[in-house]
Amino acid sequence: MNEQHRDAFETRTRALFQDSVDNLDFAMRSRLTQARHAAIEAAGRRAWYLRWTVWTPAAGVTAAAVLGVALWVGLPLGQHGTLADGQSNFEDLELVASSEGSGDTMEMLQDDIDFYDFADKVASPDPAA
Amino acid sequence: MSTPIDTLNTAWMVWDSLAPALKGAVLEYTRELEKFLAEIERRAFRMAQVALRDSDDALDVVQDAMIKLTRNYASRPSAEWRPLFYRILENGIRDLQRRRTVRKRIMTWLPGPKEDPDNEAQDPLENVADAGPAIPEKLMQAEAMQRLEEGLRALPARQREAFMLRNFEGMDVAETARAMACSQGSVKTHYSRAVHALREQLGEVW
Repeated sequence: MNEQHRDAFETRTRALFQDSVDNLDFAMRSRLTQARHAAIEAAGRRAWYLRWTVWTPAAGVTAAAVLGVALWVGLPLGQHGTLADGQSNFEDLELVASSEGSGDTMEMLQDDIDFYDFADKVASPDPAA
Repeated sequence: MSTPIDTLNTAWMVWDSLAPALKGAVLEYTRELEKFLAEIERRAFRMAQVALRDSDDALDVVQDAMIKLTRNYASRPSAEWRPLFYRILENGIRDLQRRRTVRKRIMTWLPGPKEDPDNEAQDPLENVADAGPAIPEKLMQAEAMQRLEEGLRALPARQREAFMLRNFEGMDVAETARAMACSQGSVKTHYSRAVHALREQLGEVW
């Protein structure tokens, strides 16, 4: 087969195919358009990094971290992480943050309020007495 | 020294300036992707239809390819979309053909009515002669296309793929090689064999 025949054959087949593409019926074109829209919608779902459901918690965590760092940096030098008596305030933070047994502790505090009152009086006796 | 409020304000301003730009970029590529799919979808559908002989299956395969492209490769440069799309499409066509082969084998062992081997069961209304005036040129074109489709179906899958991508889709050798995941030399060989085989099947007159 010479090149000229081959080119003519290729041109004819291409034209026939294009003709069949151009003559697709309306129903099929419509279904293809729907398929395309579904695919684009799927791509939209894929762009997860733009969704507020992802960004809101992330932004919350970031804001908390920024605030924490800002407060930390904002304290005067030499006072980071310590109290006046030299005790680390991280220990207090840990106690506050820990949820374990917090209910029991509150109950105990309420029950023994009389005891604490008594202990306070013993520790600092009334000078008038 | 900056106060915590200043730090928060700065962080907020940075986010405020980045978010619209990010959103705009995504919208831009989504629009570009949609344009690409709109350009390609009908040819892709016809190619799948030629290979599968079934419009519904062809539509399913094209839609799957679109979804896979948008989900997995949308962030790639747009120049890569076409070969990627056709690779996904061809994989889908091959998977479906394999499933059909397996189903056909199973069906031959099962009792009861057999599945139509070529899935060519036709609506009887399709065989009713058209009462309207026949247009000879259109009829000849339709017949020629039908013969071409039959010829393409008779080709080995790789030859058919090379012929359709090079000739129907107008891809160059390098792009076709990327779509077929093979060397450019293989593309040339497959294509040349496909043209020879089709010419022989369809005859010199066609």
